[in-house]
Amino acid sequence: MPTEVILPKVDMDMTHGTIAVWHVAEGAHVTKGAALFDIETDKAAMEVEAPATGTLHHISAQPGDKVPVGGVVAYIYPADAEVGPMPTASGSGAEIAVEPAAADPHPAPTVQAAPADDAGSKPRATPAARAAARRANLDLADIAGTGPLGRVQHSDVAALVESRSVPAPAVWEAEGGALHVSHRKGDGPPLVLLHGFSADSQSWAPLEKALGPQQPLIRIDLPGHGRSPRRKIGSFAELARMVLDAFDEATRAHPSVHLLGHSLGGALALAIADTRARQVASLSLIAPAGLGPEIDAATLTGITRATRVESLAPWLRRLTAEPQGISDDYAKAAMTLRADPALQAAQADMAEVLFPDGVQPFDLRPALGRIECPTAMIWGRSDHILPYRHALAVGGDFAIHLLPGAGHVPQIECPDRVARIVARHMAAVTAAV
Amino acid sequence: MNAINPETALRTMSYAEAIREAMALAMEADPAVVLMGEDIGVYGGAFQVTLDLIERFGPDRVMDTPISELGGAGVAVGAALTGLKPIYEFQFSDFAMLAMEQIVNQAAKLRYMLGGEAAVPVVFRLPSGSGTGAAAQHSQSIEAWFGHVPGLKVLQPSTPEDAKGMLLAALADPDPVMIFEHKLLYKTRGHVPAGRYLTPIGKALVRRTGTDLTIVAGSIMVHRALEAAETLVAEGISAEVIDLRSIRPIDHATILASVRKTGRLMVVYEGVKAFGVGAEISALVAESDAFDYLDAPILRLGAADAPVPYNPDLERAAVPQVDTIAAGARRLFRREV
Repeated sequence: MPTEVILPKVDMDMTHGTIAVWHVAEGAHVTKGAALFDIETDKAAMEVEAPATGTLHHISAQPGDKVPVGGVVAYIYPADAEVGPMPTASGSGAEIAVEPAAADPHPAPTVQAAPADDAGSKPRATPAARAAARRANLDLADIAGTGPLGRVQHSDVAALVESRSVPAPAVWEAEGGALHVSHRKGDGPPLVLLHGFSADSQSWAPLEKALGPQQPLIRIDLPGHGRSPRRKIGSFAELARMVLDAFDEATRAHPSVHLLGHSLGGALALAIADTRARQVASLSLIAPAGLGPEIDAATLTGITRATRVESLAPWLRRLTAEPQGISDDYAKAAMTLRADPALQAAQADMAEVLFPDGVQPFDLRPALGRIECPTAMIWGRSDHILPYRHALAVGGDFAIHLLPGAGHVPQIECPDRVARIVARHMAAVTAAV
Repeated sequence: MNAINPETALRTMSYAEAIREAMALAMEADPAVVLMGEDIGVYGGAFQVTLDLIERFGPDRVMDTPISELGGAGVAVGAALTGLKPIYEFQFSDFAMLAMEQIVNQAAKLRYMLGGEAAVPVVFRLPSGSGTGAAAQHSQSIEAWFGHVPGLKVLQPSTPEDAKGMLLAALADPDPVMIFEHKLLYKTRGHVPAGRYLTPIGKALVRRTGTDLTIVAGSIMVHRALEAAETLVAEGISAEVIDLRSIRPIDHATILASVRKTGRLMVVYEGVKAFGVGAEISALVAESDAFDYLDAPILRLGAADAPVPYNPDLERAAVPQVDTIAAGARRLFRREV
């Protein structure tokens, strides 16, 4: 009854991965949870853990081999099981044991449903505590209840949320210098990309791919993000000024550009379109910030303050419509990228400045109201971070695309769809000119 | 003598006087309003609520009926069907059992049985509750029974002001209304506005605002809950007290809004705890979106599962009192079971 070892999806936009090194040799013993092999993606190197205990056989991918996500790269056999010919991969990518034809000397134990009268592992918690835990994406089982019989009450959840949002010590030093800008050359007006808070220009990869290689691009890393210097931000206006300078510098040669921003980048794009009305031919906004006071600040601060993958993963899962959208391995990769404490501290400070007390203090509704360039807004209907009804805050001559089944990052969750909308929007503007 | 503006001056009177004032105002304004009941005329009523009204309006409009609640209530229902607006007084709410047919099968249903062609604008007044040493057959709180009957409206005034306003609202209502007056409240005094005003039927009132706990109470329990809430302040518990006022229809919105705010609910009522007002309100909250805001189990405080005792100590112990309400509230905050 061998267990399949598969190549996990550690990156949201990855379709293939490369095995860097095997830590366990063919025929050697391996313990569940031990490091099995390293995988390389465009972003990070990741250790993959053994899914079971036993001996490793049928290694089918060698270091340097590119393997599709979900592909079987080896099998782990129970210690005393007979190793037959290489089984046929189930192809499901899940840990599905292939049943050998012969009678199994170690039948799997029958799993018994918990008796109805045994609440057992189910945490005792009030409805308010459950609702609060749900909102904060906390597992009730991890929370110590102070109520009768250990009942978890709202105050217990609130205390945990509070303790997790203790400000990180400011251990970073402000840097100077221009923001990092990268270009992809092509014909026609370029599309300027402004990523969201705690992301970077690399996060556009899936959308860039969906837009096609002919679309010229200009990507700007926000201060304290990606490869930009960690500059100190005192206010949204200051941030907008900084990004506008980078925009002016990067688009000097382009009398006409398209502009696309996501979340915080959406708010900045709006501010730029408001200031550079003649230069911005079209504006696309994905779940833009600044159109209403509400924001799930717990998630933002949670992401910036997480120092371990265990504390990062629950917050990352808030970004997509479905929690399964973020795998454990993806969370590990993201944590690797965020390991720099100075980057964490810089972003935590920025979150504090931009979203004090869980509120968006900057209001771009007036800007949206007076904007004249053709504007398309794209919002996931299941956005947990910024509610899509903010799209309705201002009336105007802009299109609103509400995407079912998408959360706060539709450009990653359904890049083809978003690319289609953005491409059509840019083409319509170009045709009209 | 200084001129006093009757519209603004603080007018203090008793609960019984307020009810009497409402009846007198209605009778002056509308000749169709008549009073019926046992000993309400010459004797002035079992609890002296009608008192001297027979002298002011005469025996044709303040009618002593024979000692048959079924007969008296039947006459009242018939009179209402044919154009009068009778107020029928039961000596004790317990005696409504004798008139169940007229209340439940006739008054509540005739509008429906006759396709909306008929209306029964009768008002039943029912002195109710324990605390007077009147024993098991004269001390019950059966208002919840009538909450189960579509076609009736069931009210419970807790103050003189509401007692007057509810009676006038009941008379203005085209359908049968039952008003459960608490015997212990008859002599309590409070401000009563002059003139005619209507207390809206089906509208609860937040008598005290609080942040930690919602106490829904009716009738005399409102006063006990308010007193208990004051004792809880020192313990850091801020209780919101809602005067239910109307059992049917019930004011969902006010209750749910309060529970969403406080996260804790206690229902205090004088009827037997089981199958009562508390069950209805608990279920209402459990079935609503306010469920998600509950941070403790819902608690009902009702009467003991026994006939109301005659022994005064037991009688007191059988229904919620200030100390038991405060203790109930503490239960929702303590850390042990």
